Amino acid sequence: MNSFYIINLLLYAAVDAMACLGLSQQFGVGGVTNFGFIIFQAAGGYAAAILALPSDSANGGFQSYIGGWNLPFPIPWIGAAIVGGVIALPFTFLVGRRLRGDFAAVGLLVTAVLLNLLATNYRPALNGAAGLSLIPQPLQGEYNPLTSNYQWTLTAAAIALCALVYFFVRRITESPYGRSLRAMRDNDVIADSLGKNLLSLRTAMLVTGGAIAGLSGGILVSYITAFSPAAWGYAETVVLFAAVIIGGAGNHLGAVLGAVLVPVGFEEVTRYIPTSNNLPPNLIPSLEWVAIGLLIVIFLWLRPQGILPERRRVIRAVAPAHPPEEPVLSPLPNDSAPQPHPAPTIGPAGQGPGGGRPAGREVVGREVVGQEVAGREPGGGEPAGREVVLQVIGLAREFGGVKAVDGVSLEIRRGTLTGLIGPNGAGKSTLLAMLAGTLTASAGQVLYQGQDVTRLPAYRRARLGLVRTFQLASEFKRLTVMENLLSAVPYRPGGNHPRVPGPVPSESPGNRGDSLRGALAGRWYWRDDEAAAIARAQALLEQFGLDGHANSYAGDLSGGQRRLVEIMRALMTQPRVLLLDEPMAGVHPSLARRIGDELTSLAASGLTVLMVEHELAIMDEFCEPVIAMADGTVLAEGTMAELRRRSEVVEAYLVG
Amino acid sequence: MSAELRADGVTAGYGGDPVIRGITVRVEPGQVVSLVGANGSGKSTLLKSLVGVVRVSSGTVRIGEADVTNRPPEEVARAGVGYVPQVDDVFAPLTVRENLEMGGYLLPPRDVRARIDHVVGVFPRLGTMLSRLAGKLSGGERKMLAMGRVLMLDPAVVLLDEPTANLAPAIARSLLEDHVRGLASNGASVLVVEQRARAVLAISDRTYVLAGGEVRMEGTPAELSASPAFIESFLGGTVPR
Amino acid sequence: MTIFLASLGFGLVTASVLAVAAIGFTLQFSVTDVLNLAYGAVMIAGAFIAYVVNQAGLNVWVGLVAAVVACSVGSVLLNAGVYAPFQRRGASPITMVIVSLGMTLIIEFGTQAIAGGTSVSYTMAQGPTVGAGGLELSAVQLVVIGLSLLVMAATHVLLRYTKLGKAMRATAANRTLARNCGIRTSRVITVTWAVTGALCGLAGVIFAMDAGSFDATSTDLFLILILAAVFLGGPGQAYGAMLGAVVIGLATEVSAAYITPSYKYVAAFVALLIMLGVRPAGLLGARVGART
Repeated sequence: MNSFYIINLLLYAAVDAMACLGLSQQFGVGGVTNFGFIIFQAAGGYAAAILALPSDSANGGFQSYIGGWNLPFPIPWIGAAIVGGVIALPFTFLVGRRLRGDFAAVGLLVTAVLLNLLATNYRPALNGAAGLSLIPQPLQGEYNPLTSNYQWTLTAAAIALCALVYFFVRRITESPYGRSLRAMRDNDVIADSLGKNLLSLRTAMLVTGGAIAGLSGGILVSYITAFSPAAWGYAETVVLFAAVIIGGAGNHLGAVLGAVLVPVGFEEVTRYIPTSNNLPPNLIPSLEWVAIGLLIVIFLWLRPQGILPERRRVIRAVAPAHPPEEPVLSPLPNDSAPQPHPAPTIGPAGQGPGGGRPAGREVVGREVVGQEVAGREPGGGEPAGREVVLQVIGLAREFGGVKAVDGVSLEIRRGTLTGLIGPNGAGKSTLLAMLAGTLTASAGQVLYQGQDVTRLPAYRRARLGLVRTFQLASEFKRLTVMENLLSAVPYRPGGNHPRVPGPVPSESPGNRGDSLRGALAGRWYWRDDEAAAIARAQALLEQFGLDGHANSYAGDLSGGQRRLVEIMRALMTQPRVLLLDEPMAGVHPSLARRIGDELTSLAASGLTVLMVEHELAIMDEFCEPVIAMADGTVLAEGTMAELRRRSEVVEAYLVG
Repeated sequence: MSAELRADGVTAGYGGDPVIRGITVRVEPGQVVSLVGANGSGKSTLLKSLVGVVRVSSGTVRIGEADVTNRPPEEVARAGVGYVPQVDDVFAPLTVRENLEMGGYLLPPRDVRARIDHVVGVFPRLGTMLSRLAGKLSGGERKMLAMGRVLMLDPAVVLLDEPTANLAPAIARSLLEDHVRGLASNGASVLVVEQRARAVLAISDRTYVLAGGEVRMEGTPAELSASPAFIESFLGGTVPR
Repeated sequence: MTIFLASLGFGLVTASVLAVAAIGFTLQFSVTDVLNLAYGAVMIAGAFIAYVVNQAGLNVWVGLVAAVVACSVGSVLLNAGVYAPFQRRGASPITMVIVSLGMTLIIEFGTQAIAGGTSVSYTMAQGPTVGAGGLELSAVQLVVIGLSLLVMAATHVLLRYTKLGKAMRATAANRTLARNCGIRTSRVITVTWAVTGALCGLAGVIFAMDAGSFDATSTDLFLILILAAVFLGGPGQAYGAMLGAVVIGLATEVSAAYITPSYKYVAAFVALLIMLGVRPAGLLGARVGART
């Protein structure tokens, strides 16, 4: 076994592992299924080639290609990574749109084949089918590329870069940003409503994955000194996907393992199969492909998570028994007048009247439930006496001529648990959606703390403290319960100059780590924000009795428990007003009562809740006032008992 | 053909916690029995579990003597059950005539034409649009087509899931009084789920009130209207267990 | 003009092969909601079955019958044994695509393993040539066009006038409702795969006849033409597949006459990408393609 053989093996392993890491990041973590992945590696390979080659006329004249600037090492490799990343940008068009997953995959596959066809046939660009050859190797002027030392050094460089890529990819994935990526993968609609910028996340995935693939192509080209379209057909993409699936999508070691097993493994295994003259020469390669196909299907059937499945992220709160470092609910000013715009927080000094975001790890020492907020009286007297925190004026919404909501005006007071009832088609969910901003109003206004938010999108309202939950299952199944809660914490820009336009929430803390830059900066950068968030999440989990499940996958919980997760997740954003869409639907009555109790105590601390619900018994016990709607308008308001006595309410339900 | 519909102690759901528990309902030939209750009470789920679309975890469903519990929908249809779902109730890319033909799929081919004529007699509007695509019909016309499709087989049992949803009150009343009542007059056992409690009570022989996935009350319309508990249970007045 | 007519002739033949293939592909998608990317591989397997029969001394048209039967059975097994089980488990469309790619590898390279890597051709008489101007077609080419027209007519009759065809359309439109009507949809689906599998085998053989020489990888690029035709007309729409086949078939050959032949596929690929980006439902489809 001579050393050139080992060099060959190691170098291919490094290059393939690097490519698989990029793909695992895109596909396994970000949920971006990019069947054109091979294009990025090819682009990088060609880029390195044309950067390193002398111009075609000076190169013997039998190859024809663009570029040829004869640039020294390491520019070809850097160029390879850059080109790989840049060429990924147009792909956001196909990948980001709401196109069916399999249609998008087909489109990307076709793109790969198309580009391969163009490269093969348009000779002036990249020398067509014959491809480029005699590509200069790094520093070949100074050192002899044919020596064993050179080859070993090149291999070592490849392995080192692969390790670098591994750590780079890990740093991104094991951060709050990585958590947002995985949330997007699990349920992009909900991630969107939590304020994650899907387009930016996907673009980042494509570009970083493209750059990694490009670099791998550049290294490969420097080693074999030749590159042709035959090296990157669509079959090669299938091999990479097979490697990632078999190794374990979403697990970076799995990606490396897959690279070793599939592209490299297959190559090596065939070396040891004895050839005989009776067998046709193409039999072994054909059977290799058959085997890869079988492995793909078998793994997807028996073990879709791969050999090394994605790790469960177990998060332990630092000090579960201690009081949280920040209150569950944001402290409110003691003013009983309608709220002005929330004061923007810039730096540590800017605070609104009373309270404000506590800095760092300062222990505030407040109790979670029924807390006395400094300078504020709990409850503040009768519901009618508290200030209006959410006001609706003549709100209306039409769907193709049908008035789902027809001129509704309401006042919701702080600290109340208001119920919203009505028969099917009354317009309750539509109204809720308009309050939350997930649906635009056709007419009317929504005033939140005195500010007109009618035109504000949902995630902006969420940052101001006006948050909703959803009726249907909306947890991130492959994130743990703790991670689900943490994912609700929005991004907060670091430093003194927030780049987020519009009103910056003064009391809603964020996580610096929820951006690409934040993730790359490393754990030290976002560690404090994360710890604060974890503490708050832990407090909520204890309050709702799910702390035993903190590290269970959300998808494994029962229906009622998942409801709780959703409510807790909404509470993580420290809302002022919580809009709940049928929170008790399908929930066991004792659990429903538990939820009601928790909401009541939170309301006593200043949270305002508006709840659409069909279980009218819940309204009886917990809600006051209750608003009854029918046919898009408000019929009456009062306690549930009062409403039951009102004939128009009864009629509305009976008429249906 | 006529047969009694019996559901005994049916518990069903979509995997996970059951949506309906221990439901017992009986419909005799020639009767209209209605199922009312607030949204989320499990009415649609019950119908789906009767026709084999939702899995029954315990309890039985019988059509006459035949046990059709958890049989596939096509077998339940062959047992003489016609089902009009609440949504997706017609084949949108097929014409009205083709929809009716699909309704008569189990008929011998030579009877199909005659049956279509019969159905058009019941719903004359349909006769004017036999070549129109079902997806292009208005809401009321679609419901008519859906019911006409079910009529093709002259089923012994008819299950209707909120047939008047999204229909104007006058059309809704006519649908219930003329056509739903008419089905029973022809000998079918009709089970109709409705949100419009008042309207459906007017045509029912018996009514069950569902809340929280269970039967809370049952009785004739007269009995229920006279009972203060009816409104209570309908509006969920009693706190459960 | 001569060039145009000649390319028109090629275009008609390509469109004919494409139509037979695309109808089968799109109908498989309509009842099962799966993009069966292994379709091209099954086609070429059929072509090789006909080749084996041909090499045994029989007429290639007998081989065609054998291919049709074999691909019909094979396709039924493919759906029942692979696609349906995955779907029953709730596999996502992406998973189904990857599964179909895996099956493509198995079938295509399994064929290559058995048949070898070299190109082969049928032993068959091309027959007299018919035509005028530049438009000249051999008897075989005329038969291919004729077969394609026959298939299109038969598809039309099947879908519009037979109970089975209407049941297929009903199953594709609303499977649960079809079952509520008493339709045994699992049987309808099996029959659909049998029929479309037969079309696949037929398409494979006439493809091979038109290509002259072929090997196990010959349908790789052709599959993309099929996809272009299917998406142009609308996935799941049989008439759309016919329309798409004519457009793509003619466009590729006519453009090849005026641009370098190697680029003739490029137009089809670009058309496919545009359709995916702009109107995934195709020219004849309702609004589908968006994720639900």
